[in-house]
Amino acid sequence: MTHKIAIVGAGPSGCYLAQALLKARADLGVDLIDVLPVPYGLVRYGVAADHQGSKAVTRQFARIFERQGARFFGNVHVGRDVTRDELRSAYDVVVFATGLAADRRLGIANDAAPGVVGAGAITRALNGHPDAGPLPDLGARPLIVGNGNVAVDIVRLLGKLPDELTGSDLGPEQTRWLAESGIEAITVLGRSPAAQAKFDPVMIKELGKLAGVAITVDNAGTADDEHGQKLLDALAAIDGDGTAARTIRFVFSHVPLAVETQGGRVTGLRCRTVQGDEIVVGCTSIVTAIGFEDIGDLPRADILAQADSAAPVYAAGWFRRGPRGTIPDNRADAQVLAADILADLDGVSAGPERPGGTLFEGPRDVVDYPGWLRIERRELAGADAARCRVKICDRAAMIEAACHAEETSS
Amino acid sequence: MKIVILYGTETGNAEMLAEDIGDALDADHEVTCTNLSDFPVGEFDAETLYLVVCSTYGDGELPASAQPFAEVLKAGATSLAGVHFAIFGLGDSEYEETFNFGSKRLAELLTQHGAVQLGERATHDASGVDLAEDLALPWATEAVALAESRFGKAA
Repeated sequence: MTHKIAIVGAGPSGCYLAQALLKARADLGVDLIDVLPVPYGLVRYGVAADHQGSKAVTRQFARIFERQGARFFGNVHVGRDVTRDELRSAYDVVVFATGLAADRRLGIANDAAPGVVGAGAITRALNGHPDAGPLPDLGARPLIVGNGNVAVDIVRLLGKLPDELTGSDLGPEQTRWLAESGIEAITVLGRSPAAQAKFDPVMIKELGKLAGVAITVDNAGTADDEHGQKLLDALAAIDGDGTAARTIRFVFSHVPLAVETQGGRVTGLRCRTVQGDEIVVGCTSIVTAIGFEDIGDLPRADILAQADSAAPVYAAGWFRRGPRGTIPDNRADAQVLAADILADLDGVSAGPERPGGTLFEGPRDVVDYPGWLRIERRELAGADAARCRVKICDRAAMIEAACHAEETSS
Repeated sequence: MKIVILYGTETGNAEMLAEDIGDALDADHEVTCTNLSDFPVGEFDAETLYLVVCSTYGDGELPASAQPFAEVLKAGATSLAGVHFAIFGLGDSEYEETFNFGSKRLAELLTQHGAVQLGERATHDASGVDLAEDLALPWATEAVALAESRFGKAA
């Protein structure tokens, strides 16, 4: 019998893992299971709507299902619809690749005050995630805390003029939210010196193309390594860029101490400067972009302990390694993990036929790969000159689109 | 004809395209498809057509799997005289200043060491409307025709 492998989470790590497994052993039965009715996870809901080039990896992932024989089971919540034990008995190998989707909190006084929002939550809302909350009111002067690419994505989208979103898949509600934001000044604040920021220089340079902002960079300091110098060069290249009324200001070496509020609303962030002074950076809202953590939906510590044991349970991607590394880093990681899994399976007979995907049969609305293609066709049918896709953002509507064959057009 | 498709990739998109090109040429030619990270520079030979597929990553840099290959070429005095290649690049015009610099850098490196480039470097734009294979398959056919006339023999 062939081995059956369940991968929980059909995001980039899960998809790259399935790709590597099936490339090495085309006979494996690989099932990708996702809590959402649609595959591709972070590529669909984390990569920014105006970075369609980065989303092109989904063409590779589609082939896993279309040519390599993997199956998709969407709208299945492991831990609720099926238990982890049921999954373990139904498959020879179970891999958890569910990512880390929760925004890490600042961990300072008042960090949950109204007006403090996570970058992940905003990113999901901008990308039309079905479980995202409403887009928040950021006021005229949002402050973004964090020095990574997630922070840059938010700044760029907030700073773009409506025309600059052409070709994206930003939805109509999100487009209106950006157009009517009333934002006058965006501050990006980091705890470390500029040279140690985690921004990719190319992401910083991209901000230089925005026509609707004027950018300044405060106290960027000096660098003592090549990466740091590249980053400083990129920041220097955008410093002073643009003359528009809306401003973007980068501030470094400010350690957040407390969120200041008045009447329950955010008014500023108290920080310690590199000179040791305490100052308050005024703002109307705070967007935290300081990393991600486990949403707590699955017991990560238990699963990671199992993954370290001899049990045929593995963990992949951010869920295993923590919230560091890009999509290609996760590809490399998935290839190593695939080799480990295959080595562990080598010489182990699959034993009696396991039920595999029949576990998900029953009354619930499971979305299979053809179902996802029906969703996607409906999304692409809404495309026009301004938008490459109109996402279906509501779970029930996704399931409806997946489970009902489209009307044949006349 | 002996054809070696060499790819430099970061996300796997160039690898997928290289495999598609290989599938398209496989019936009529002796084709192998190899990651640049697994290709020793000493293995180039004059009887083979090299079809190079290379993406661009970060700030106009070579993708991860092409970097060790490029480092070896840069460091040594390897002569690629008599080696024929054609090159296809993947890039994203969102980053216009460094658009398709990966394939550009790699082509320069190969010609600096004496290899002969057949045809113009072709490029795909991830932010454009074309599918990569729709551009790359005609490019590959053209490169094979150029090589056939250059090598003075058909297939």
